[in-house]
Amino acid sequence: MTNDVQFQLNRRQLLQFAGLGAASLALASCSAAGTGNIPKGNGSWKQFAGTEINFISENTAPSAAIAANSKPFTDLTGIKVNISQMQLGDLVQKVKLDLSSGSSQYHVIYADPYQVMSPLSAGLADLTPLISSSGYPKVEGGLDDFLALDAAGRFLSKDKLYALPYDCPTMIWFYRKDLFEKYHTRMTAALGFDPTPSEKITWEQYYQIADWFNRNAKSDVAYGTGHQAKQYDSLQCDFSNVLWAYGGDYFGGTDLGPLGSKDPGKSTLTDDAAVKAATFYQKLLGIAHPGSVGWDWDGLGQAFAAGQVAMAPNWHEYAASAEEKFPGKVGYSLLPTGPARSANLWGGTGIGINANAKEKEFGAAWLFVNWATAPATQLMTLRSTVGGGTPTRRSVYALPEVKAQEKWPSTMPNMVTTDVVLKAWEPDFIGLRPKVATWNQLNTAVFTELSKMITGSATPAATMASIAQQFDTINAK
Amino acid sequence: MLAPAILVLAAVSVIPFVSLIVMSFSHVRLLGGVTLTPAGLENWTTVFGDPATWASWLRTLEFFVLAVGSEMALGFGVALILNALRRSRTIVFSITLLPMFLAPITVGLLGNFLLDPTIGLYSWLLRSVGLLAPNHGLLGQRETSMVAIAALDAWEWTPLIALIILAGLTSINPSVLEAASLDGAGFTRTITSVVLPSIAPILLVALLVRSMDAIRYFDIVQITTGGGPASSTWMISQQLQQKVQATSLDGVTTLIGQASVIGITMIAFSTIIANLFVRLLSKRERDR
Amino acid sequence: MSRAHSPLAPRTAPGRAVLMALTAATLLAVTVPLVWMLITSMKPRSAILTALPTLDFTPTLVNFQALFTGDSSILPYIRNSVVASLGSTAIAVVLGCMAGYALSIWRSRAKAQLSFWIISTRMAPIAAVIVPLFVLFRSVGLIDSIAGLMLAYLTFNLPFAIWLMNAFFAEVPASLREAAQMDGCTPLQAFRRVVLPCAVPGVVATAVLCTVFSWNDYAFAVAFSGPASQTLPMSAGSLITQTGVDWGQLCAIGLVTVIPMMVLGLTVRRHLVTGLSLGAVTGE
Repeated sequence: MTNDVQFQLNRRQLLQFAGLGAASLALASCSAAGTGNIPKGNGSWKQFAGTEINFISENTAPSAAIAANSKPFTDLTGIKVNISQMQLGDLVQKVKLDLSSGSSQYHVIYADPYQVMSPLSAGLADLTPLISSSGYPKVEGGLDDFLALDAAGRFLSKDKLYALPYDCPTMIWFYRKDLFEKYHTRMTAALGFDPTPSEKITWEQYYQIADWFNRNAKSDVAYGTGHQAKQYDSLQCDFSNVLWAYGGDYFGGTDLGPLGSKDPGKSTLTDDAAVKAATFYQKLLGIAHPGSVGWDWDGLGQAFAAGQVAMAPNWHEYAASAEEKFPGKVGYSLLPTGPARSANLWGGTGIGINANAKEKEFGAAWLFVNWATAPATQLMTLRSTVGGGTPTRRSVYALPEVKAQEKWPSTMPNMVTTDVVLKAWEPDFIGLRPKVATWNQLNTAVFTELSKMITGSATPAATMASIAQQFDTINAK
Repeated sequence: MLAPAILVLAAVSVIPFVSLIVMSFSHVRLLGGVTLTPAGLENWTTVFGDPATWASWLRTLEFFVLAVGSEMALGFGVALILNALRRSRTIVFSITLLPMFLAPITVGLLGNFLLDPTIGLYSWLLRSVGLLAPNHGLLGQRETSMVAIAALDAWEWTPLIALIILAGLTSINPSVLEAASLDGAGFTRTITSVVLPSIAPILLVALLVRSMDAIRYFDIVQITTGGGPASSTWMISQQLQQKVQATSLDGVTTLIGQASVIGITMIAFSTIIANLFVRLLSKRERDR
Repeated sequence: MSRAHSPLAPRTAPGRAVLMALTAATLLAVTVPLVWMLITSMKPRSAILTALPTLDFTPTLVNFQALFTGDSSILPYIRNSVVASLGSTAIAVVLGCMAGYALSIWRSRAKAQLSFWIISTRMAPIAAVIVPLFVLFRSVGLIDSIAGLMLAYLTFNLPFAIWLMNAFFAEVPASLREAAQMDGCTPLQAFRRVVLPCAVPGVVATAVLCTVFSWNDYAFAVAFSGPASQTLPMSAGSLITQTGVDWGQLCAIGLVTVIPMMVLGLTVRRHLVTGLSLGAVTGE
């Protein structure tokens, strides 16, 4: 025993341990993402039967629907798919670790264009050879059937496609139709314009409507407007709508939305338009439901469903939960117009393939990506009790059984927003964030500074200057 | 007999620690495995020149004082109560212990739920007694968010502190207390002149146990406020996590290096604190 | 725990009333959130999303049913959690006993430094060590494996176990061990037959606390687990969906997660107290 007890860890041994650690760090750096791993394929859906693949996804309606019932895919292909669903932040971390270590723990990846695809595109496989390959089933309806294909699937160039559009929640104007009807005459008289929500209403008028509700309708609703203004991604989304409406933007370049850029240049947030937008946003949040500064999209969705606010800029996929609480009493419109336009932030995501995936898994992963974004699957998720979903295929919106559900009462409650979102996705109305590899850092700078601004500890001009300065520092590296 | 434990500890803590040090002086490339290129002191100067890092340290201290302070005070109070109970002690004690068995993520989610300005039970209770303005939530206001976070932590961990202190209380020789009361010492006098001095070592241990976790505290903040509003709960762990989170795969990044610097300073800070307590503790032991 | 009247207990009627009031306040503070979680887990969604908290609802078990049925049942999560935490605990306790004992009988200057180093390994911020640990685990194939999780949990369980057990063994009189060795026991036999049995409460307390810590871990599980090794706290994270938080199910999961730990903790409560008090009294 005395021998055992006299164990010593001397300096040299410690250093040897350290050496081991460094060696393992270096070892892990051998493999790199390649494209030589695409199996040729024989054109059939069944060619990878018996393979098992893993799909990592944010907790999102289509994934919930597929997770609850993946049998159709297994029946079609003989492939077993395990779905891991988690919050976006956790997903970003896991995907990054997986891609960077050269492994393929997850084969199919939910590639948020901003937080996953742009920063991690180097680890995602190019889908173009698979789409054109005769060894695989064709993408039904072709790529033209997809909405926002560039935004969801491409980065930097048209040559490569990293993901197929999988969902497309978009921010639109939610309002309580019952309350707007009840107060229509009084509001029109008091405000001097018809308050019925549409893109003809300006943001300034939106403010006046909210303020009117605050003053005159306390018995029906606590506040006129609510926002997802927690110090989080959601705050940046909510602000972006206003920023673009006022003609401001994060960067000056064009094409930053659909394709993104390696070098976006200097930030344009110090421009007059951006500062005006920030000034208005601060004023708007000043009369919004005080809970707003603590709400992310869930909090806002919950507050709207609890009848706390008369209107809000909200993701259209929240229609289902809003209609559940106020059946047929919720109205939808494009977001208000600013001096420049009405901008409606698009929050879609594609699914792609881990470039490290090997042979069979790679092929199986592509079959899954192809199947999961197919019109028939999107129709299935629309019908699922746990799903809902936001189809990314034009053809799905044209299906008679879907069109029939566009009006309340609807068995596909998200579809009651169809008219509005189809318009919101038109080039004049869509709001696209810049796709740059540093977005996760930029995003943090935006919502951190905005949170100070809306709680009154910084002026709009100083806030925009501070964000712009951080952008330039981050992108200079 | 020490060897196996030391080996395992070395594997899971020395290797990462050394890697942290190496990475803190490097630029890191993540794609296809981790590769490092020397960067000198760049990461260190960036982190130490960043006001956001200093601000997050301030928030950490604020949390540390609020949470650990209230846990010690409440823990002592609860221990005194339990110590004074007779027949009901076992049952009250058992119930009191329950929160410490919850996963921190559950506590965070429960906090979100109870403090939600719209549907939260506690928001409603506080509103009913006029302590909270209508439609406000504790987590969503700059002035109260830190208090709310500390309260959640205190709710979960006061029981552990109470348990440790209670053990100390029961080990005090009753005759000493009897003697004090015969001398005419009141309750407060007895506490300050007899009880506190004799359980000082145990208080230090309780303090040490909680301090180690309070500095690296993360789960509950992440799930509740995410560091907001206006960065009022943005602590050093958030600052670190955000650097790791924001790393891109393409090209070389300085963020991992900066995260390593923050990690090392956190370890250093905890070590200093722990050292301080341990020193106080052994001084006490010697004095006795 | 003695039931004798504590000299610190109030002796007057008003004093006792104050004590009762404080006890009640403590119990309320502790139990209200827990009871509300229990109630919510049995509420239908419509009774949860009300602006005024309500008790007017028909209790339902749908939230629990949803957890255990269908393709997204949490049963595999439970299995992973059980194996990972019990495995990690077993290793931590065995190694912790050995190391703790060795430390307790070791007489050397370096002892203080070594024990301080051991406890300081528990202070590393998890977010910071995740990247290096991931690379390390990846190089030895421990990602997405229960074994990897066990090892990760050892980063906080092992120092804790050594610390507690060391304090425990220090309480066992040296004369006992020496007597056993005089009787012809080898040092190892003396440890197994004489010293260890004296330290059973400590072993139990250590084991329970290690189990609780690993069972409740979220950060390591998020980083190192994969489809084959997801743990129970992760299932809670996965319920925060893009289209709204399902509080009923979250509360149900919270209960399913905590009840085993509460049962475990309360069954060995007596040992926890003795264990921690000894650990605390002689802690270094």
